[in-house]
Amino acid sequence: MSNILAISDVHVAFGGLKAIDGCTFEVEKGTITALIGPNGAGKSTMVGSIAGAVSLTSGSITFDGQEISHLPTYRRAQGGLIRTYQISREFGGMTVLENLLVVRLGQSGESLINAVFRPKKSKTETNALVGEANEILNTFGLYRLRNEYASNLSGGQKRLLELSRAVMAKPKMLLLDEPMAGVTPALIEILGQHLLDLNKGSGMSMLLVEHNLEVVDKICSRVVVMATGKRLAEGTLAELRSNRDVVEAYLGGEVHERIGS
Amino acid sequence: MSIFLGYVATILVTLFTYNIFTLGLNIQFGYAGILNFTVITFMAMGAYFYAVFVMPPANASNQVFYILGLHWPWPLASIAGIVASGILGYLIGLIALKRLRSDYLAIVTLATGTLLYGLSGDQNKLFDGWAGLFSVNQPFQSVANNHPNTFSWIFVVISGVVMLIVWWFANQLYSSPLGRSMRAIREDQDVVDAFGKNTFKVRMMAMVIGSTIVGIGGVLTIQYIGALSPAGWTTGETFVVWAALLVGGRGNNIGAMLGSLLVAVIFNEGTRYIPQVASSPNLVPDLRNIIIGSLVILSIWFRPQGVLPERKAKFFELPLKDKYAQTFGGVSANQELATEV
Repeated sequence: MSNILAISDVHVAFGGLKAIDGCTFEVEKGTITALIGPNGAGKSTMVGSIAGAVSLTSGSITFDGQEISHLPTYRRAQGGLIRTYQISREFGGMTVLENLLVVRLGQSGESLINAVFRPKKSKTETNALVGEANEILNTFGLYRLRNEYASNLSGGQKRLLELSRAVMAKPKMLLLDEPMAGVTPALIEILGQHLLDLNKGSGMSMLLVEHNLEVVDKICSRVVVMATGKRLAEGTLAELRSNRDVVEAYLGGEVHERIGS
Repeated sequence: MSIFLGYVATILVTLFTYNIFTLGLNIQFGYAGILNFTVITFMAMGAYFYAVFVMPPANASNQVFYILGLHWPWPLASIAGIVASGILGYLIGLIALKRLRSDYLAIVTLATGTLLYGLSGDQNKLFDGWAGLFSVNQPFQSVANNHPNTFSWIFVVISGVVMLIVWWFANQLYSSPLGRSMRAIREDQDVVDAFGKNTFKVRMMAMVIGSTIVGIGGVLTIQYIGALSPAGWTTGETFVVWAALLVGGRGNNIGAMLGSLLVAVIFNEGTRYIPQVASSPNLVPDLRNIIIGSLVILSIWFRPQGVLPERKAKFFELPLKDKYAQTFGGVSANQELATEV
């Protein structure tokens, strides 16, 4: 199996604070890999530096065979690397449907000339995108809210929108920063199923930062554990539960209780 | 009667040019969320550059100095003025849009505007300093000289047509994918960036388009009046355009135009009828500012989205492929329920 994402000896420092301190791991193409670790381990910083929001102090990040650590954020996304945020960041003043429409790249109406003087061509395209977006919204249970302003959605609905918007962008790989944060158990179940379906259906690779180990157990084939800015261990969750370092650093009693070693 | 007709024409030209200013600002702020606090500078640069392109070389014996003086025909000079304000928008954008947003960006635009204001006032070789440019060649000069009212009404038509073209352009832009990207940037620039759009480029487009449109209004202004000095484009004028947009409704082009009717024409012109008080000649202008200021505060307090809020986007939609899904909402509910039913 080939890698879609390779993190190699990445360092990120904010002044004196070393948020990531020589971290190396890989994500196999077509898998859902979990990134877990105690608070302050550097997981969100890692997602930020993969996506381009945080710049590296040193090290390299390779995505889909291309070194991306020097690329600006939007160029990484153009290559098919799309992230979601720990706290939902919907376009509040736009409708749910528009939230999806806006993220699709390569629309002809994004050039000024086409936008103003060739509205027909662009409208035909948009109509097709509306159909596509509605199907996605339907899958995520947001179809009847499609013409609602995104700011009016509930917290859980915003999580669903965050994910459906990312799907609309047709990524090769999704970076999910705690997609289940603040979500009810019933919705966690649904979201988890959606992620699995996406992975199975279109082979979308994912890197999932998650604290909920039940979710990790259910949908992730591999787990990377980070602690104090380094990769502590890697393997399946079953392998990791017998890893002393991991148990001490993060899983603690929880691993025995939840996974029942 | 002829005085009244001339007055009505002037009011209409004022309305149409302010409509153009607010439409330009709406593209920058209402669409893309760019806080341009020096709108009026672009009007002035459009006007000044039209003037120095259309006027004959400066005559030093009159103690009037300005750059260029190319004596171009007015249509070409108009284009030069409009392009100049667009270029200025691009240059300010280069400084301001690369790294700055929201209030920091606002401060840079305000500072650049103030610099240009001081420069064109103090450096009298540029646009004749504080005295400003006058006797600027107008379109249909002979009509303007001999039949001022006819000229005014010709100009009502010209500025009205230009305004309609700008309005059409702004609407086309709004409903296009490019306009949608601009509005998404207004909502959350980082996210748009993270979805693969070059947000700097899109914001720069909004900045340049808006500045160019404001420049069009500037060219029309100086063509109508035939003169402009720094006293005519103080920071307070920027505030009038902002007030018009905020009261009318940002993100809504009709709202922007309604706002300029309310603020720039009814309040700005209407307050001219307050009787002058001889002992304090500044009373009326001060009152005008107080009234417009209060209007903005009241509108932000009670109707922050403006008189005509941004309209909700509607799309042509076909029914979903899966009919059951529509009835039962989410797919998980659908899969279970549909089989049971």
